[in-house]
Amino acid sequence: MSVALVRLGLLAALLAAWEIAARAGNPALYVPPSAALPALGALLALRSYPTLPAHFLLTLREVVAAYALAVAAGLAVGFGLGLNRTLGRAYGPILAALYAVPAVVWYPSLMLFFGLDAASKIAFGFLLGFFPITLAVLAGMRQVSAHLVTVARAFGAGPVTVFVKVMLPGMLFTLVGGLRTGLALSVIGVIVGEILGSKAGMGSLITHAYGLLRTADYVALVVVTLALIVGCDGAASLLERRAARWTA
Amino acid sequence: MSQAGIRWLQLGSVLAMLGVWEVVARAGWVDPLFVPAPSAVLGGFAAIGPAALAGLADTLTKTAIAYALSVLLGVAAGLVLGSLPRVSAALNPFVVALYGIPKILVLPWILLLLGFGTVPAIVYGTLHGFFPILVLVSGAVRDVDRHLLTVARAFGARPWQLYLKVILPAIVPSVLAAMRLGIVFCLLGVLVVEMFAGVRGIGHVLGSLANGFQAAPLFAATALVSAASIAIVLGLDAANERLSRWRG
Repeated sequence: MSVALVRLGLLAALLAAWEIAARAGNPALYVPPSAALPALGALLALRSYPTLPAHFLLTLREVVAAYALAVAAGLAVGFGLGLNRTLGRAYGPILAALYAVPAVVWYPSLMLFFGLDAASKIAFGFLLGFFPITLAVLAGMRQVSAHLVTVARAFGAGPVTVFVKVMLPGMLFTLVGGLRTGLALSVIGVIVGEILGSKAGMGSLITHAYGLLRTADYVALVVVTLALIVGCDGAASLLERRAARWTA
Repeated sequence: MSQAGIRWLQLGSVLAMLGVWEVVARAGWVDPLFVPAPSAVLGGFAAIGPAALAGLADTLTKTAIAYALSVLLGVAAGLVLGSLPRVSAALNPFVVALYGIPKILVLPWILLLLGFGTVPAIVYGTLHGFFPILVLVSGAVRDVDRHLLTVARAFGARPWQLYLKVILPAIVPSVLAAMRLGIVFCLLGVLVVEMFAGVRGIGHVLGSLANGFQAAPLFAATALVSAASIAIVLGLDAANERLSRWRG
């Protein structure tokens, strides 16, 4: 029997077990699939939450803004610290130590400073995405063979040529991996921010449905949010594959 | 630059940053309601010291329980999945999906099931730590040198001897790496629950200080948690290094 069949069978068994357990227990609490599907239909037909598209787009816009900032700042700081040995040795460890702090610790301060609107979510998504990108740039630059750089210089390559022809291809794999992790974390940052306190966006709808015990709607909203997350990651993995082809 | 020079540069930059911040805050260029001066933050620390320390102790206790659970369960599940390639092939998409889902989306549901308080914080923290440990450990078990296993079997090793003498010693570095990774995730999970629905713990303290616009105590409490988590991670790193030196 092929693995795919086993997986499908497992999925079906899981859903069936969930359905039976939920009906036997408290359907309002455990939300059987038979209740979640109609709720998803009602959500997508804009019956349960007519303003869904606006919230979805707001969350998407926050993600884009947070990630754009994180990429810009992450690349700038990463290359700044990586190209200058003294700066790298001084501030690299400080960044690594700050990365060891669970980022959600900063969220209350950001919420206080930026308010309950989009700005605090963008700031938190930025913060989460910034660290993996910066650290990936630093790790990637360490991977570039010093010999290759020396040889390129010996053959008269200028700093720009060395950077484009030697360093970038040598570190691309790590860099792109960091960019992908950064995107995933920016998305999570925005959604965590929205769930911890907001007036608009997918997270606010989720806490609204949860607060009113509209559990079937809550499951449907989670499914839609997951689609957003998976879509972002899918776009990132396409880029990753293209980068891999370029270096190969 | 020498190592001592680097240390002075680090110390100098941190002091300079605090100095600039103090001047900017005193000069009134930022609203002290949102950005208090470092001296005010020190005062804030004095104001909330006992409450914050009690909250931190509460949080760290929950984190310790969640951490112990996620290491135990994660290593056990990793050993099982790593030793049974067919089972692991069938379960792989489920593990990847569960690992990849931002846990924040299921937090409201966990709270509905378990109520407010200590238990959901421990469960959610365990959930955060469990998957990275599971994935790292099962990968390590799968990658144990086949030759070692074949030779041990050829010399008549029984299955339990295979585990005790070959597999367990071989995966120690990965288990340590997983433990280093897991602690931050566990702390993150516990803090998120405390912020979202806490009645105790430093996450709850942070959340209520932010809601009360008490910036100085909020910054002080944030600094306290950050320092504690940096200290924990550095401590684990040091223990790790000592262990690996002992292994040779």
